[in-house]
Amino acid sequence: MTDRARPAIHPVAWIAWVSAASLISLSTTDPVYLLLLWATAWFVYQAQRIPGPMARSFRMFLAAGVITVVLRTALVLFTPVGSRDVLFALLEGLRLGTLLVLFGTFNAVTDPFGLVRLAPKHFHEPALATALALSITPRTVASVGKVREAQRLRGLSTGGLRSLPALVVPVLERGIEEAGTLAESMDARGHGRGPRTRYRPERWSTASLAVVGAAAVGAAAFVATAVTARVPLHPATDPLALSSPDPVLLGAIALLALPGLMPGGADR
Amino acid sequence: MSDALRYDDVTFTYPDTETPALAAVDVSVPEGAFALAIGPTGAGKSTFLRAANGLVPHFTGGTFSGRVTVAGRDTLSEPPRRLADAVAFVPQDAAASFVVDRVEDELAYGMENLGVDPRLMRRRVEEMLDLLDLASLRDRSVRTLSGGERQRVAIGAALAAGPDLLVLDEPTSQLDPQGAENVMAALQRLVHDHGITVLLAEHRLERVAGWVDLAFGVEQGRVRSGSPAEVIRSLAVGPPVAELGRALGWDPLPLTVRDARDVVRTMAVPSHPVLATREAPGEVLAEVRGLDLSYDRTPALRGVDLDLRAGEVVALMGRNGAGKSSLLRVIAGVQHADAGLVHTNGHGPRPGVDVALCPQESDSVLFSDSVALEIRATLAARDASDVEPWLDALDITELAAVHPRDLSAGQRLLVATAAIAATGAPILLLDEPTRGLDPAAKGRLTRFVRAHAASGGAVVVATHDVELAAGVASRVVMLAAGEVIADGDPAVVLGDSRVFAPQMTRVFGPGWLTPEQVVEALA
Repeated sequence: MTDRARPAIHPVAWIAWVSAASLISLSTTDPVYLLLLWATAWFVYQAQRIPGPMARSFRMFLAAGVITVVLRTALVLFTPVGSRDVLFALLEGLRLGTLLVLFGTFNAVTDPFGLVRLAPKHFHEPALATALALSITPRTVASVGKVREAQRLRGLSTGGLRSLPALVVPVLERGIEEAGTLAESMDARGHGRGPRTRYRPERWSTASLAVVGAAAVGAAAFVATAVTARVPLHPATDPLALSSPDPVLLGAIALLALPGLMPGGADR
Repeated sequence: MSDALRYDDVTFTYPDTETPALAAVDVSVPEGAFALAIGPTGAGKSTFLRAANGLVPHFTGGTFSGRVTVAGRDTLSEPPRRLADAVAFVPQDAAASFVVDRVEDELAYGMENLGVDPRLMRRRVEEMLDLLDLASLRDRSVRTLSGGERQRVAIGAALAAGPDLLVLDEPTSQLDPQGAENVMAALQRLVHDHGITVLLAEHRLERVAGWVDLAFGVEQGRVRSGSPAEVIRSLAVGPPVAELGRALGWDPLPLTVRDARDVVRTMAVPSHPVLATREAPGEVLAEVRGLDLSYDRTPALRGVDLDLRAGEVVALMGRNGAGKSSLLRVIAGVQHADAGLVHTNGHGPRPGVDVALCPQESDSVLFSDSVALEIRATLAARDASDVEPWLDALDITELAAVHPRDLSAGQRLLVATAAIAATGAPILLLDEPTRGLDPAAKGRLTRFVRAHAASGGAVVVATHDVELAAGVASRVVMLAAGEVIADGDPAVVLGDSRVFAPQMTRVFGPGWLTPEQVVEALA
């Protein structure tokens, strides 16, 4: 895979994919469909992630998804209500968690700077600033890890408020230093000098078109079901009554797993 | 011949300081030169380089007098971004200079800013990929590259914009010997075949002295130019062959292994080196058995066995990405191995108690307001308070009251080492401790390492610096792709290596490691 021209899937196709998957998760509270979406997100992440800090941040999104489910449920547990509300909260939480995990995958499989070049010319500056800000988050996470490790190596405790300066000071100093180097480097390389041109645009491949098509069909199946109320999308929670999953909708979610079957990021 | 870069009586003082960082600098770099700036840390090398495209004073502020011109253009009237088509700058921390994510896009970024025609841009990117041997990396994220690859991408990204002058701050400091060789060869090709002018700063003179044709000696803000041999002679620094030449009174001073061999051929040298008599190593302090480790399905360590004994200084060597840092982190107990075990004192390693590790990014250690407080913070964790011995051990007593931020990178590294060593752990692990260290600071570190081993501890130094390994190690362990491929006496392991042989071995043959050893044998 040394000289392949570009990653197989166009950034716009990824936007279509994450939009379709989000639309599906917003249209249902059925745990079968939602859990299938988690599995799909994981499958696609495994096949398509771009190695590097962004891919590592997927775990953060996954953790955030699980925490959302737990918190949403726990909030209800502390109020005097019946099991009906607890179940309802659990499914609501599962839906929010699904959104987070889907965005975690999107984040790990796209290059934020690839998205910058999609922005219209006049929006280049804010788009670049946003992409840089996004790339700082995973780098800060990595930096915190390194500093904690360094303090452990000195035999210092790494929990509690008293150890906070030992963590925050190096992370901030490092961050400020890196930001300074980046600003200098951008200026030295002619940033903001005048009219810019653009390096070759991303190419559309059949694979990208297939991803868009599959995502559109999958989302359409859920939207049509929601509009026509053909089969229930929101299971009753008093008591919990799961209807047997609809084969058409299962197929619709399976379509979203398509990028997971394509040669992807991990082998670059 | 006209000048690519000219300094006309330049004096520059940073804001809030009194001593000028550049004092009446009046030198020039002719077109097509391959020039090197040498000098101790804090002498003003970086300032000298950063003034070449106006980063000094446009980004620093301060008082600037005189004139710097690049191809006739004044850096005061044109800020760095306007000069981007004439001069390119590669900072020491190449990774922090990357703007976009994919290698190919990073190469194009500067040209996009200059408004280069997209068709020409496409051609130039392909040329850069070939010129710097990056074609296989074009789709990779810059964050996942090895140190050498990153450096080559940074050079390519700087060059793609088509400047006539390329300025690099310590371009080989993070590279293994072969990686450094490749970067220097690429630079030389640019100078010889493409008419580019190159100015770089570097401490490890054995890596660069033979390549360049002009040198600048930087000392306390003053800059003198001359031939590399003249400048190296006057600064009393140099690669080991030059140190040897100086000790034996050779004239002219040899700068390369080849120069030295030419001299040696005409003289009588003892054919067998006097092997340094070493104390037999003491009891085993750490036992490493069958370590396996992989990250994300990529193996980092494979079946590593190792014993560390009291009194030993082990140099851990191998190319970038061979697993050196991983091995140190497992021994230090901050990284769990997938299989195998590490035993210190009959139990698993306790970081900061049995084992102390000074990480490669040593700045992540420092957080206090002064050097003394930094060491006190470590001591407090084990109810000790005597700071002086540790300041003394690394010879940094005069820095005790200084804020770590105000120190040079090399000095901060010494402070971080002291702060880590103050744990009192018998096993001390140092990851790339000589990055950015000038010869004086390297001497301090070497003395400390020897003293620690002599007092019954063990030291493991992961390093690319073959001359350091030759000078300080009592044993060399070589890693390749996560496996130990050699483990033994430095004279043997370094002696039969093409890549890791120190200069004295290359001149006199296996067994010879340091200039001191040769001088002693001839005396």
